[in-house]
Amino acid sequence: MRAPIQIVKWATKELVEAELFDEVTIEHFLEAQKEWRPVVIAAARQMVQAGANRESIPRHWHWDWSSKEADLRILAFSFFGITVQDKLQGLMKLETVGWSGRIASQKGKPLAYVDYLETAPWNIKLLMQPLGRSPEFRAIGTRLIEAGVRRSLEEGFKGRLALHSLSGSERFYLDVCGMTAVGRDPAKQDLLWCEFTPGQAEKFLNEGAA
Amino acid sequence: MNMNNSRKWLIDKAEQEDGCLVSVGGFVDALEQTEQTSSNVIPFKHAFVRFVQLARRARKLTLDQFAEKVDVDLVELLKIEKDEQYTPAMRTVHQIAEFLKIPEKRLMVLAGLLRVKDAQFQKAALKFAASSEPVEKLSQEEHAALEEYVKFLCDR
Repeated sequence: MRAPIQIVKWATKELVEAELFDEVTIEHFLEAQKEWRPVVIAAARQMVQAGANRESIPRHWHWDWSSKEADLRILAFSFFGITVQDKLQGLMKLETVGWSGRIASQKGKPLAYVDYLETAPWNIKLLMQPLGRSPEFRAIGTRLIEAGVRRSLEEGFKGRLALHSLSGSERFYLDVCGMTAVGRDPAKQDLLWCEFTPGQAEKFLNEGAA
Repeated sequence: MNMNNSRKWLIDKAEQEDGCLVSVGGFVDALEQTEQTSSNVIPFKHAFVRFVQLARRARKLTLDQFAEKVDVDLVELLKIEKDEQYTPAMRTVHQIAEFLKIPEKRLMVLAGLLRVKDAQFQKAALKFAASSEPVEKLSQEEHAALEEYVKFLCDR
């Protein structure tokens, strides 16, 4: 699947042509590691030098390459990427088997689970500020979550979708996306389980659309 | 997949998302990554440089002959062999791996393009780097070190 989409240029708020695709290969992960990691590390260094509290420093993902590459071949997993002029701007791994709702009204009903989601560091304000740069694009997270909800609909899960949010990302999933905070999960380092009911997913997809 | 094409929806969401972190997944501290990079990648890179040098010389190829056979840019090959800080392009490593019939992913780890948690792999890379010294002609020991390491890379 390759679909033309638009995202938003950070500085001017102009719409920018982009591409959403689900034919992610190991090359995309290699590109992400090679291009993204140095930017994150440089930003973290600047923050430390500026006296930032260690806890306030954004964390970067840990790449388990062997499992990621194996995952690419498993049909129950979908990988989505967003590019602008062939430059990778975000990646998401979605699982569509083995997960079910935890909200009381959705208990036992199948859902799509976001196992991994990340945007390129040059789209993250918190990382660009210490480097004296402005972010490049907005709405990468929104577009990836939208793709997850639409895949959930395609699978017959009625838009149900869940994830374990990192503490720094909770505001986005609860306040911006409108997911329900179900509770901390001791099996996942006490991360917050956030879940879309079908109604919340519908609202996320269409609220304010004109 | 039909994505929302409402300009208003997108602009509103973009405004709301601005300044938010959106990360999901298993994370480690960026600073720990920095420390790991400094301690792990350099030995691998040293092994990578030695490996490319010896593999080329074992085939009695000059740099430009090797570049032509592997179909990579001569300047990049020079950088690989002369500058351990240089990180080669993925395509270059892919081409070298294909020419030398070495598993691509293993060579990418050595080149610093991939990271693995594998003490045995690191130990073997260090051993190889330490046991190979550049001379005009490969000694029996170098041949042995090269062959042993090729076998290690291929068997894993």
